[in-house]
Amino acid sequence: MPGLARYLRFYGKKRGDRRTGSRELGTFGFGCAYALCFAVGWGLLALILVYWAIPELRVNRDFVRHICRVTDVRLDRAPSGDTYAPRLHVEFEVKGKRYSVWAPYEITDPHMADRDATRKILDRFERGREYPCWYDPRDPQRVVLSRGYTWYTWLMLLLPISLIAIGGGGLSYYVWGWGKSAERRAALAGRSQRLDFFDREPDSQPWFPNVPGAAEVTNSPGTVLAFRLPSAGNSWGLAAGLIGCLIWNAVVSVFAVMAVRNHLAGQPDWRLTLFVVPFALVGLGLVIVLVRQLLISTGVGSTIVEISQHPLYPGGAYRVFVSQAGRLKMNWLAVSLICEEEATYRQGTNTRTVQRRVYQHELFRRQDFELQPRRPLEAQCSLDIPAGAMHSFRADHNQVSWKVVVQGNVVHWPDFERVFLVHVYPSGQGSEAA
Amino acid sequence: MNDAVSISLDGHRRTYQPGEILSGEYRIERMLAVEPSAVELSVLWHTEGQGDEDLAVHHFERWSREQDEPADFRRPRRFQTCLPNSPLSYQGVIVKIRWCVRVRVFLARGKPLLAEQPFQLGSLTAASAALPVE
Repeated sequence: MPGLARYLRFYGKKRGDRRTGSRELGTFGFGCAYALCFAVGWGLLALILVYWAIPELRVNRDFVRHICRVTDVRLDRAPSGDTYAPRLHVEFEVKGKRYSVWAPYEITDPHMADRDATRKILDRFERGREYPCWYDPRDPQRVVLSRGYTWYTWLMLLLPISLIAIGGGGLSYYVWGWGKSAERRAALAGRSQRLDFFDREPDSQPWFPNVPGAAEVTNSPGTVLAFRLPSAGNSWGLAAGLIGCLIWNAVVSVFAVMAVRNHLAGQPDWRLTLFVVPFALVGLGLVIVLVRQLLISTGVGSTIVEISQHPLYPGGAYRVFVSQAGRLKMNWLAVSLICEEEATYRQGTNTRTVQRRVYQHELFRRQDFELQPRRPLEAQCSLDIPAGAMHSFRADHNQVSWKVVVQGNVVHWPDFERVFLVHVYPSGQGSEAA
Repeated sequence: MNDAVSISLDGHRRTYQPGEILSGEYRIERMLAVEPSAVELSVLWHTEGQGDEDLAVHHFERWSREQDEPADFRRPRRFQTCLPNSPLSYQGVIVKIRWCVRVRVFLARGKPLLAEQPFQLGSLTAASAALPVE
């Protein structure tokens, strides 16, 4: 029997310009993944509603307040043996009928790993004394000694709702595209884009599909030249990094505290410790990266870049004004015009982005100087877009971007780089140089 | 690709500028064993290179047996469109933009037939040749 020349590949791989694997199989795989996501979301939602949310709602709305006598207490150990829940034996009478049951403390009956905390709940109850309880009028055997709403029950609902939204959205798109060619799908998607464009004010601006709008750069006037260029999203990245770092370390610290407590109590849990250590190291790495970024952002003063005209056109010549503030001794500061291609692709379950610089020209450089507060470095230089150059281009997975990049090498400080996007439009559409 | 479908551009042009009219005709060259159930003509651009493919259709015509009048695709059918301002054809290093006229013939049974006629929008030079890294 002849052997297989190669195995069936279930996922695509990029080999330069070539993609292996089947597009149809990939689409089918995504459809299945969305369907699974949708189904799991509904399953989880049902589970949370049945076991947590609805019982909690009922105990707060429908259960009847009553008085019971606690006759015994015990710790209920889960079958796995690692978690505990309080159990109270109570006696009470409803409509002349006497009930004697082992009741959970709360309706959701959470089992906790902390045995002492569970014991403390039981210690609040004395055998033979009377306490308020709440019983189910449909079945008085169902009784609890505490009620209220728990935040985690409602927070848990976010997970299935997200899964249903992602799965449902993906599945709808999959069903909508079923049996349609790629061109027909793209034509339908493009039609709504064109309708959006024609809904705009008739300001005689020609439409450049897939070229970023100039307004995102020209909405801030300059003080020396016509427009002040916005910095390419460093502060948002820093804020996102800060939030991510805080969330990561907060979650890790919960497990770390549990592990340390076990060690201090003389009952080390080495499985938990080994589990926590790599996550803690990642958390530490995040803190170091964040501190470095904060030092660069706050230690180096603000960078201002202004331009004489926007959008830019191939073959055009423009002026650029650069201002660098701060209190630093610098080895050098350079301003460059850069054009980069960026391509995003999926490889298995990962999404990767590659960048390739296709043009770089230094516009300005100064070496060995000192920045003083209130005396920023200010300079003007010319910026030429080469004739025949590619215009700015932005699509879902591919883009071509033009940037003015300010790089600095500071004495005894991390290097910094600040990026300012400019948009180059195709020539021949009012492309007079400044 | 399939030689059963042919596309030709008027004047056998290969390069167009934004705003120019692109026109031509297409036809099914030989008798097919199965009648087409639908035929789609698109003037489109798509990317090639390292990234996943982006594709956008500038002009789209669809004929389907269920919804339209009967048509004989062995006789040439004309198309015409005014080309957009962008994106221009581009031969980058990891991003390439290709324009083409594409005809897809759906058959009642089997895989659709596909034919393409590439053309260039604008006259940019290749990134690696025209824009050396200094």
